[in-house]
Amino acid sequence: MNDFVSTYGFLIVTLLQAGLLGLSLYFPLQAGQLSLASPGFYALGGYVAAIMLTHPTFAGIRDALGHGVFPLTWLVAALLSGVLGLVVGIPALRLRGIYLALATIAFVEILRVLSLNLQITGGAIGIFGIPQAFGFQDRWQYVFLFGPLLVLTLLFAYQLERSRVGRALRAIREDELAADAMGVPPTRYKVLAFVIGAVLAGIVGSMSAPFLNTWNAKQGTFDASIAILAFVLIGGSRNIWGPVVGGALLTAVPEVLRFLSDWRLIINGLVLVVASLYLPQGIVGALERLRRPRPPERPAALPPAEVRP
Amino acid sequence: MEFSQLVQNTMNGLAIGSVYAIFALGYTLVFSILGIINFAHGAVFTLGAYFTYTLVVGQFENNGLLKGINLFPDGSPFSGSALSFGLATLIGAVLAGLVAVLIERLAFRPMRARGADPLLALVSSLGVALVLVNLIQLLVGAEIYNFPSNAYGEVKPALAFQIGDKTVVIRTVQIIIFLVSLVMLAILGYVIGRTKIGKALRAVAENPGTASLLGISVDRFILITFFLSGFLGGLAGTLVGTAFGVAGPYFGVTYGLKGLAVIVLGGLGSIPGAVLGGLVIGLAEAFVPADYSAYKDAVAFALLFVILLVRPQGLLGKAVIQKV
Repeated sequence: MNDFVSTYGFLIVTLLQAGLLGLSLYFPLQAGQLSLASPGFYALGGYVAAIMLTHPTFAGIRDALGHGVFPLTWLVAALLSGVLGLVVGIPALRLRGIYLALATIAFVEILRVLSLNLQITGGAIGIFGIPQAFGFQDRWQYVFLFGPLLVLTLLFAYQLERSRVGRALRAIREDELAADAMGVPPTRYKVLAFVIGAVLAGIVGSMSAPFLNTWNAKQGTFDASIAILAFVLIGGSRNIWGPVVGGALLTAVPEVLRFLSDWRLIINGLVLVVASLYLPQGIVGALERLRRPRPPERPAALPPAEVRP
Repeated sequence: MEFSQLVQNTMNGLAIGSVYAIFALGYTLVFSILGIINFAHGAVFTLGAYFTYTLVVGQFENNGLLKGINLFPDGSPFSGSALSFGLATLIGAVLAGLVAVLIERLAFRPMRARGADPLLALVSSLGVALVLVNLIQLLVGAEIYNFPSNAYGEVKPALAFQIGDKTVVIRTVQIIIFLVSLVMLAILGYVIGRTKIGKALRAVAENPGTASLLGISVDRFILITFFLSGFLGGLAGTLVGTAFGVAGPYFGVTYGLKGLAVIVLGGLGSIPGAVLGGLVIGLAEAFVPADYSAYKDAVAFALLFVILLVRPQGLLGKAVIQKV
């Protein structure tokens, strides 16, 4: 058991983390908004935690709070991500489809260039020597942070879908103009979904900085946006389990293929191509269809006339 | 800013901006026909540079599976004069065009055939990009490859002239880049605006259904579009590679993203828009003061963000009214 944990602990935590990031993109997608901003908020949350945990300015707070400083970093990361999410979301969500995707790519790139050049983010080197959360001795112990967060997020998503808000989001996804006409204010709900995703990504980032021990501009890049988008689309974008399954699977594939060494990223690319071709509803969507086969065709109202020679 | 500095920056900006323009045209051509952004375009850019490098040098010294293989043991027929370098560039771009055609067949056509969500085509093209980029890394390693200085023959290294007491230096490479891009734009403008192929392409872009009713083979013109797109992307890759060296398999990633900024700035799907967008971003980057040059890579995205907020259809784009 110990062997297993020490070998795969890091991977398991990474799988949970991938599922959470997938969910952060899933929330705006529920309102039909393709946002690739998650890595930006993830990077922001990570920097918040990294700075609060290492910068001399915060030494007083760290000494006063002890381990209590870790929840504080989550809170600050969530707040900052939420505020930034609002600031970016309100104007950006006037855009539709591919334009919103491009605007969020621009947002992530701007954050990346900033973090690469600012002093407080440590420039290209980044911030290192981030203390382990709650004095964890081993990386697998982060399961105790990411695990409950994932469970809470899933519960929240589950409840949200069944609430008035969730129905409004779905209405906007299916037909924004019709939803608007029915008195569902699209912008308000879209911004709400976007901010929820941003806050989640920010918290994940703030938990990940101690986990990785170091934080730099590589954490929030276009590549990460794509990876997270792939989690959701390959897993399934219409079910809360989709992003989790997709995240876990696409994080595990390169690990399982490790023996292929240099070929594994190539295989990873092929997986994306093949999966988007053969699993248009994602893995979870395909499983659902297996479990609940399509209802039999309703018999035609009139039996077809018999053809006699 | 002094006048000499102004001239220098403008020249630098025009050279890089014209490459952005022809690179971004590749995106915009595909977008205008399929309404999809081909995220593998950056990888095609990288490939174009590598194809030309292979033709000119014939071998890769650093590492990768191709190490030690020498295509031209007696010296490459494609190096040593400006003319043969030009030929290598042309073949490199054609090969890149063929790769783009392959991408269409593998990543886009099956999606179209199934009427899949355009988002999935996007993911599929990203998968192809991942395959291509890592294949390059596997074959030739991750090092920078510089075109040898004799590759384009006895071309004078730079053009220098005095303005006041300052010297303005324009590298020959910059002039070549600018001229080649200009010629490409003229040819493309002619093909699309004046020829029968261009007319058919515009018809397909306008409405594939109607175009096919009129007897235009839509699939064939989509292939032509992808070929043109890959050709332009590959050519841009070689041009940038000549100026800065071919910087590894991830060479095209930044250009891929900036190209997106270019086409959105100009107006998605608009050909003059891509040109204008390229020049605007090229010039804007060239005028970033030296003290802030680290932020240069953010300029394109800041412009993109601003334009999306102020004028989402881009500078020259048409506003699309959503159907009710």
